[in-house]
Formats: sequence, C-alpha cells, structure tokens
Amino acid sequence: MHESAMIDSFVQIIEDKVKEYPVKKVTKIKLKVGKLTCLCPGTLAACFETVAQEKDLLKDTVLEIEEVPLKAKCKECGQVFLVEENKFFCPFCQHPHIQIVAGRELFIETVEVE
Amino acid sequence: MEIKIGMNVLEANNLVAARNQDIFQKDQVFVLNIMSSPGSGKTTLLEKTIEALKDELKIGVIEGDIYTDRDAERIKRHGIPVVQINTYGSCHLDARMVREVLPLFNLKGLDLLIIENVGNLVCPAEFRLGEHARVAVLSVPEGDDKPVKYPVVFRESEIALINKIDLLDYFDFNLERVKKEIKEINPELEIFEISCKTLEGFQPWLEWLRKNAQR
Repeated sequence: MHESAMIDSFVQIIEDKVKEYPVKKVTKIKLKVGKLTCLCPGTLAACFETVAQEKDLLKDTVLEIEEVPLKAKCKECGQVFLVEENKFFCPFCQHPHIQIVAGRELFIETVEVE
Repeated sequence: MEIKIGMNVLEANNLVAARNQDIFQKDQVFVLNIMSSPGSGKTTLLEKTIEALKDELKIGVIEGDIYTDRDAERIKRHGIPVVQINTYGSCHLDARMVREVLPLFNLKGLDLLIIENVGNLVCPAEFRLGEHARVAVLSVPEGDDKPVKYPVVFRESEIALINKIDLLDYFDFNLERVKKEIKEINPELEIFEISCKTLEGFQPWLEWLRKNAQR
C-alpha cells in the first residue's frame, strides 16, 4: 500500500516546518485521518515508526491519530449528517445530491516539540 | 511547545494536479483518467475507442503499470502517441508522474489524452492527475457487489463503464441492482453499459467522448 509514500511526504512537511524553530525533538504529532481515505491508521503508524526510528528528531515521537468520520451536507435541505454504510444520500430529505465535508483528509494538525 | 501545522498531506498532489490541468487547458486537450481493477478491460477499451475515433480526434495515451510496457506496445500498434509510466511498486499514478511525461507529447496537437491508471480499484481514487474527467470501469465477471465494496473510486468519478456485457448470460450479475447502487454512491455519475468485444453500447460512450473532446 502507499502509506509509506504518504509518511515520506508527511515527515518532510514536519521536518521543513520545525526547521523554523530551535527544536531538539518532536514529542507528539497530532494527525487526522479521514474514514473515507484509502489509508489505514494502523499501517500509517507502523510506517511512521519505521521511518522515525532512523531520525533523532522523531525517534521518540508519539503519533496521535484521530479518525475523522465521514460527514456530508445535503445540497437540498442543508442538513449535515454522518454518512453511514456508504449511503450517499440525505437521511433527512432523501435527496441524493450531497457534498462531503469531512472524512477525506490526511491532516497534520499540530506538533509538540522540545 | 506546540506548533500549528494545519496541512492536508494529500493536498501536495492536488497542487501538482492543478498545474497539470492548467497545461491541459492552455493546450486545449481533454484528459481522462481511467481507473479499474486489473483485468476489467481498460486497454481493450482504449484500443476499440482509438479504432473508432482516430480519424476524427487526435488521441494520445499515457499507460500506467507497475511493470512492463505491454499495454503501451498494444496502443503503439494503432499508430498514436503513447508513453508508458512504470511505477516499480506504487499502486497508482500520481500527478508528479504524469507531469514528468507531458513534455514527451505534442499536447497542442492532441484533442484527447487518455491516462490508463494502474489496475487498482482503491488507491487511484485518492490521487488526482489533472484530468477533466475520471472513468471507473467495472466488468461483469468481477461481480455486481464491487461498487458498494469500493465506493471511493465511484464517488470520485464522472463516468462509470460497465464492461463485458456480452457475458451477462454467463454470470450472476444483477445489472439493475449494480446501477442502482452506483447511483446511491454518486447520483451524478453517468453510466454506460458496453462490450468491447461486440461493441454493443459503444456509441453513447463515443458520443460522450466526441462531445467533450471537441469543445
């Protein structure tokens, strides 16, 4: 799977960002992973550990992953709802035209550093 | 100390894809990204499409595979420009891979560029390439439960092609149910039922291509 390629990009982003600060190490990374991405949080964590253990900056980093549920907004009635069982229509008015508003991200929220 | 990052990692590919699409807009070429499981008939679909349209439209093809150039060799026999991308492990094409081969085409001279993605019904859906439309191909022998099992690729596409309809009598494939389930995943998806063997249903697909590539 391509979690390892994602981790490479993700580690690059972290390393570039913390360069701007006098940082010895990253203690925690808060990551949001959407439910409807083709990414498995467990595999992401395992790939991260493999990459991180080679780097002084990241070898003690705790990766905190929050799974983001799949949410959509109905284009007809405006209600926001959880999309369950891959039923992509509004449960309130049954309208089929909906816009996904959460659940498709691989979002780096914050890092904690020393 | 906490540092705010606030970045969607998947955006990095989207930025390159947007730049690719700018190139396609400037050179006025309509671009498709065709996604499916291995063996659904993507390359044969391309061959039959090229045979039908090559006197009307200038077509180019990017082939994506993990290994070999067998698909590009098949396309080459039709006398149109084709470039093979081998990923040597990655299960999908990404926008950077496509960007790197664009200089190998005379894009201004093309009406239609078709990208055949790596055979995979999961990962290609996450990686925009700069295409104008995405086509999800499902074939009858694969089974009629694939859209509900692999919804992302159908959610992220504009067209669904149900291929190998000449085999409907030989498989338990409930065509009406699969179309209903596809529409529940993505009501805006346009569905074409085709056979690349008998060419049944092929005309509406060709008409859609003509309409979009000649704009």
